Amino acid sequence: METTFIPRSLGQPGFLSEVRAFLAVSRREWIIFTRYPSWIIALFIWPLIFPMMYILTARALSGPDGSGLAVFIATTGATDYIGYIIVGTTVWMWQNIVLWDVGFALRNEQMRGTLESNWLTPTWRFSYLLGQTGPQIISMAMFVGITALEFGLLFGVRLNGSPWMIGLMMLAAIPAIYGLGFAFASLVITVKEANAFVFLIRGMVMIFCGITFPVAILPGWMQSFAKWLPQTYLIHGMRAAAFTNAGIKELLPDLLPLLSFGAFWLAVGYFTFLWLERRARKTGAIGQY
Amino acid sequence: MQLSTLSQPSLKTYLRALFVIARKDWKVFWRYPLNALSSVFQPIIWITPVYFMGKAFSTNGQAAGFAAYSGTGDYMSYILVGTVLSNFIMTVFWGMGYALKNDMDAGVLESNWLTPIPRLLILVGRTLTSILTTTITSATMLILASLLFGFKPTGSTFAALLTAIPMLVGLYGFGFAFAGIVLLMREANTLVDVGSFLVQGFSGTNFPIQSLPYWLIPISLMLPLTYGLDAVRGLLLKTNTLLPISTEIAILLFSMFVMLWIGAQIFHRVERKVRTLGTLGQH
Repeated sequence: METTFIPRSLGQPGFLSEVRAFLAVSRREWIIFTRYPSWIIALFIWPLIFPMMYILTARALSGPDGSGLAVFIATTGATDYIGYIIVGTTVWMWQNIVLWDVGFALRNEQMRGTLESNWLTPTWRFSYLLGQTGPQIISMAMFVGITALEFGLLFGVRLNGSPWMIGLMMLAAIPAIYGLGFAFASLVITVKEANAFVFLIRGMVMIFCGITFPVAILPGWMQSFAKWLPQTYLIHGMRAAAFTNAGIKELLPDLLPLLSFGAFWLAVGYFTFLWLERRARKTGAIGQY
Repeated sequence: MQLSTLSQPSLKTYLRALFVIARKDWKVFWRYPLNALSSVFQPIIWITPVYFMGKAFSTNGQAAGFAAYSGTGDYMSYILVGTVLSNFIMTVFWGMGYALKNDMDAGVLESNWLTPIPRLLILVGRTLTSILTTTITSATMLILASLLFGFKPTGSTFAALLTAIPMLVGLYGFGFAFAGIVLLMREANTLVDVGSFLVQGFSGTNFPIQSLPYWLIPISLMLPLTYGLDAVRGLLLKTNTLLPISTEIAILLFSMFVMLWIGAQIFHRVERKVRTLGTLGQH
């Protein structure tokens, strides 16, 4: 009698198992995040000290008699230069943290030597990246809340706009910011040491998106380039949502491009992951560092 | 029977160890050329928002408000000097604290610790390459920034360079203490970033400390770096200084010895504690 043996995977992939994998990765990331006590410093000190450098420079530029400030108000239309700077720098920090945390998620696995063993599990591989975003979004929400609280208490910055509109702008920005992070994470598997790319991307946000100044002050070609960066719309929309009575109608010119960029970057992130992950397996680079 | 160690420490072996550490770091640095390139452009990227922000505060290219504090309306030259010096400040912080974290992660810290070399020498060795590469990249950055934003030194470059030396040597004290803290806390990124940012901020890298809120000025005055940055700018750009330049140089020289001694003491104590706890190789 002839017996046939059909190789069968021990894994039983299904929707629930994918959710479980996603939660397991999220839980692991949360444990790592809270394992190092310096996260408290990061959460409480960073929101304060990074904008402070620009705020204090702006204070020096204002002069003891506030003559420079009058010029700034005339140029930007913003009376509260501290609030103006905080919104820009917070958006920059958000993108920066996502690039380091989500962008280096797989690279960190490579460095720890766990990427190959994780890749052997019968799990949807993209969940390793998605799992990173859960704790990341929670910590970022805390980060933004703490920023508002600290500057409100210490510098009297008041968010006169609607908190719902601020939340809406942030939600609309998630696909673009994290999509970029996914694309970046996939790239890092192949190019390994990618610090320079983080510097490049966050540098573009810093130079072109008007984190501390109005985009209108840039030369024409720089303004044209700024229109291709989702963070430009996020910063502009967030300033309007936080300090004016702007509603959805007023925010639409920022929301629509932001959502379009979000769809684009999520698609780019996902397909880049599929392509580069497959390429890394074929070239044997998956576990190399 | 007399027990003796196999190692034969001498000045020559110490110098050889320093050379080997520096050579290894040099190889690693140039192995990733993109990182080298980014270290040139990174400072330019950081100061670009300040350049445009300064324009929003200026009339006809002159920041009158800034001039009232510093004695010069050329805020970009002021900031560029601060940026170059802060590159070196960062180098000492990163060079030691972050190098230890890298060794922890790579699992080589314990084996390096077993070599018959003074641990402070290992720390100093880790900064040699970075000081050299920082000099190269800062010079390149300054040339590029001069073309983009303009840089107009009006004073003595040689005197400014001489004044910067005791400031940088004193920074090693900071770096030793910081490396000890990294050993203890086993996490470097946040500590290094926050530490560097605070020190640079309070010492007036980008702005005259006279513009700080009055309750923050005493913190600035306690940092020797404040006097270093102030004296270098005073000599190079002829800006208003907090104290007479000769007094600031005397403070720098005195604080250099004090900082080195205190930093080394802190490092030795923490390092001993970490070895006692058995957590040296953990990360």
